[in-house]
Amino acid sequence: MRGLNGRWWWAMAMAVSVLAMCLIVAPARAQAPGLTAPGLAGAVAPAADPVAAAPAPALTHPGRVPQASISGADTAWMMTSTALVLLMTLPGIALFYAGMVRRKSVLNTMACVVAVAALVSVLWFAAGYSLAFTPGSGWLGGTQRLWFAGLDYLQPLGMVSVSHVAPHLPESVFAMFQLTFAVITAALIVGAYVERMRFSAVLWFTGLWTLLVYAPVAHWVWEPGGWLAQMGALDFAGGSVVHINAGVAGLVGAWYLRPRRGYGREAFEPFNLGLTMAGAGLLWVGWFGFNAGSALAADGRAGLAMVVTHIAAAAGALSWMLGEWLVRRSPSLLGLCSGLVAGLVAVTPAAGYITPGSALLLGAVAGLACYWGATGLKHLLKVDDSLDVFGVHGIGGVVGALLTGVLADKAVSGVEGHLLTQAIGVGAVAAYSAVASLLVLWLTHVLVGLRVDENDEQTGLDIAQHRERIGG
Amino acid sequence: MLSSEKLAIAAHLHVLLRRKTGRVTDTEWMIANVDYAAEVVRFARARAAEDQQPDLADWARKLEQAMVGRAPVPVAPAPVVAMAAAAPANSPENRYVGRLR
Repeated sequence: MRGLNGRWWWAMAMAVSVLAMCLIVAPARAQAPGLTAPGLAGAVAPAADPVAAAPAPALTHPGRVPQASISGADTAWMMTSTALVLLMTLPGIALFYAGMVRRKSVLNTMACVVAVAALVSVLWFAAGYSLAFTPGSGWLGGTQRLWFAGLDYLQPLGMVSVSHVAPHLPESVFAMFQLTFAVITAALIVGAYVERMRFSAVLWFTGLWTLLVYAPVAHWVWEPGGWLAQMGALDFAGGSVVHINAGVAGLVGAWYLRPRRGYGREAFEPFNLGLTMAGAGLLWVGWFGFNAGSALAADGRAGLAMVVTHIAAAAGALSWMLGEWLVRRSPSLLGLCSGLVAGLVAVTPAAGYITPGSALLLGAVAGLACYWGATGLKHLLKVDDSLDVFGVHGIGGVVGALLTGVLADKAVSGVEGHLLTQAIGVGAVAAYSAVASLLVLWLTHVLVGLRVDENDEQTGLDIAQHRERIGG
Repeated sequence: MLSSEKLAIAAHLHVLLRRKTGRVTDTEWMIANVDYAAEVVRFARARAAEDQQPDLADWARKLEQAMVGRAPVPVAPAPVVAMAAAAPANSPENRYVGRLR
């Protein structure tokens, strides 16, 4: 399904128009006065004056604060977490996925992950961060931080920009941390449509999806004015924002693209499960940054989040292994790797709210649930979700989000979970992701076409899309 | 049988396999290597039975006859003339059919 030349020009015209809009809006916003938070004007002083002794009112918008009010320890941990989460994508997801596809599309799979990381990074800088993490409506953020306008470090004045979400951290660090979440969410979806989607379509879909789906959902859940946050839905590190969102988008994409040729008739043997294991290891370790980093501080809550993350991963690996051992009479490396990821996915929304004992239960349940998701449920759905993105991330995210409502311990976080609230959040994110992803897919189809042709699919996307061969 | 005739049979089977199963084969290697030809014959027969494609079985038989005349056929462990038994569900051949995990 190749796009016509006319479509290509139209697509380029659209891209240029969007870019032009951003360039017009960003300088206007950067010149707008009053970027310090309301009520803080009196307390914000030039570097020569001492900081007011009275505590500053809580920020409601991103603004500037004295550098001295930044926590060095928290900042250091958050920069480390940012690096860990980026490692989960590069090369974690790249290896995890590349090891599972057939030999002829290994390089294309990796290229998709790298390209997604680069593209989402630029789009996050351009508009994604602002749409997700600045105040606006309950549905979408504002334009205050387009092109990171106002995200300042002013050494001569001793001032630094902070987000109202994390006023003890430089906003640059907070924005970078959230960037890595946007990157990995988009990268996860690659696994659903891999081996048949055109590379140009991957770029267009990813770009549009990040701005039209990921940014709004992140705003709903994580920006204090977001409607799900206002409702009290608990999602510590992205069970809904990342995993349910990516899982549902992947399922819709896999359905829309139709199965790979030979699916259900030929054996699609993974290229190298050793790579998958290497990727899984990076995911396990990197997830400490994902979950413990979501505490936005180097404190006891982050420490507990690290513990429950690890326990859930271990429980997930063992429970999937057990399930597979019973059903297929032998455990597998892929099963172990998948189970640990299932446990990590499920504990993601719960990491800041549950005890270690609950993490063990959560991980064990997720391992079995996701095993069913990647096998029995996949058979029922009859959709060629190539690498089981929905089965692992979608189902794992749902299990984790719902069980957060049951297992959240008020003694840990000061908040209680409510199953109904969690269910509403799950349903809302899943429904929006499904509908919006479908629209983005349709638009991408119109712009550039989605699927490679029969010959290219048979040849393999490494040669067809990149003219590269893995060698050996 | 002439080499060109064997190549013609191999090419015909190659096209059939490509069109009906999506499998790509190496036509020249098919007539140069008996083991490879035997595997192609086995695969074509298995798919012929599974997908109800009698022409696949027919051309597999022709290739087998062409190759049997070229070199001695190994009797054990898997003679070319015998259809390969269906692989068990957990075998590597079937493990990744329709599922990854």
